[in-house]
Amino acid sequence: MRGFTELNPGVLMIYYLFVIGTAMFCMDPVVIIISLAGAAALFVTLSEKRSVKLHLSFLGLFLIMALINPIWYHNGVTVLFVVNDSPVTLEALLYGIFASAMIIGVLYRLRTFTMIMTADKLLYVFGRLSPQLSLVLSMALRFVPLIRTQTAKVRSTQKALGIYREDNIADTLKGEIRIFSIIATWALENGIITADSMEARGYGEHRRTSFSVFRFTGADGIFLVLTLIPSAVFIAAIASGEADFTFYPAMSGIALTPLSLAGYCAYGFLSLLPCVLEWKEDIRWKYLISRV
Amino acid sequence: MLVIRNKTARSVIIRMFPFILIPALAILGATVFDSDKHLIISLAIAVLTLFVFAAGYEKKKVGTWRMVIASVMTALCVFGRFIPLFKPITAITIITGMYIGSETGFLVGAMSALISNIYMGQGPWTAFQMLAWGLIGFAAGLLADPLKKHRALLLAYGVVTGILYSFIMDIWTTLWYSGGFDVGVYLSALVTAVPYTVSYAVSNFVFLFFLAKPFGDKLSRIRVKYGV
Repeated sequence: MRGFTELNPGVLMIYYLFVIGTAMFCMDPVVIIISLAGAAALFVTLSEKRSVKLHLSFLGLFLIMALINPIWYHNGVTVLFVVNDSPVTLEALLYGIFASAMIIGVLYRLRTFTMIMTADKLLYVFGRLSPQLSLVLSMALRFVPLIRTQTAKVRSTQKALGIYREDNIADTLKGEIRIFSIIATWALENGIITADSMEARGYGEHRRTSFSVFRFTGADGIFLVLTLIPSAVFIAAIASGEADFTFYPAMSGIALTPLSLAGYCAYGFLSLLPCVLEWKEDIRWKYLISRV
Repeated sequence: MLVIRNKTARSVIIRMFPFILIPALAILGATVFDSDKHLIISLAIAVLTLFVFAAGYEKKKVGTWRMVIASVMTALCVFGRFIPLFKPITAITIITGMYIGSETGFLVGAMSALISNIYMGQGPWTAFQMLAWGLIGFAAGLLADPLKKHRALLLAYGVVTGILYSFIMDIWTTLWYSGGFDVGVYLSALVTAVPYTVSYAVSNFVFLFFLAKPFGDKLSRIRVKYGV
């Protein structure tokens, strides 16, 4: 089986829909911890840099969000202390902590989504839905780097002509807006020429065909099954109401029935599956290198 | 944002969704479900609205010209999102809606959100950004005549939509954080977002002030030059 990142984009999309969808709507402490751990582990595995800044910004976000809740909410039976006649309760504090942990977990998961689902993979998924939409998408994606190179050229020309100055904010702003205006004219004319050229070659006469490098292989099928079965078990556990956790007014205990335990295990499996696949690839690579 | 090919499906969606399904869902969400299901319902409504738009879009025959111009404007929006502090994305969406038409305005707003998030990071907020920017572009198209005539009105529209955009995105933040809609959390979200709200409003004002007229001239010049 191949690594997680090389799977078919459609399969990856289904996996992410399930994992993020369930993580967003489930306020069970066990599920939140599993989700956060799995997402953070995958992010650390995939990222080549250390990205300390990102971890720190997530930590800051976590602290701010965790503190907002006990300040605004005064529900709950266990009063910790009283500030300005309003009680701060244990339940509200814990709710804030777990809600923020849930959000941070989803943010980590989405970071990995952005890393894995590059533009070509998204195009492959959306192109299936509508060829016209995918054409607009792919043209816009092509225009972005094109505009960027042209902007660099225009800026150097303006500097060489002595028109562009960076003495003060007003000058900078004026210069930037002139460059933007030049770029807009150029991009529109370029677009019209593209449209003419497309029509001259018979665009819109027949159905379009499209090429993609992605195939659906046996590994994708196995992964799809490994996604769908644990998801079904987990959703069954949630829907049965056995793994129902409430914070207000008093916290309920974590249910330890067979079904809820099966649900937690299934979610843990689902959450860690991509990491395991990536680690396996890593180990295999190192093993193959060591034999050389 | 898909394009629906089947004609009957389109007409059913256009009639059913806005008048029956979306109000029913909103009422159902307010009465039957607990407050912790509001998030699912608002996401569902966001997705349904995009469907309604998709159904209306295919009704007009979209020429190659319009499609290419839409992708150029989208690319300019995405490119503009890299400018630090000032973001021309709303201003360009408004200009597109104003000069090319409501549908193209919606398309450019929604696609810019989708594509720029490939660089900035996708998330459940993508649907809300697509919806918010799309609607701003769509409304600009509906108000095209007065907006073209009175410059003050256009600038005011830019400032108001900048503030509204921030308000809409904060509704989303609140729903996600507390599961249901809570006024206290919403207000604190609004307060923490004040710098962003101001930067949205100011950048809309600045970019519309400098770009609206030149962009209109450029578009009409291209129409004359290439005879479209």
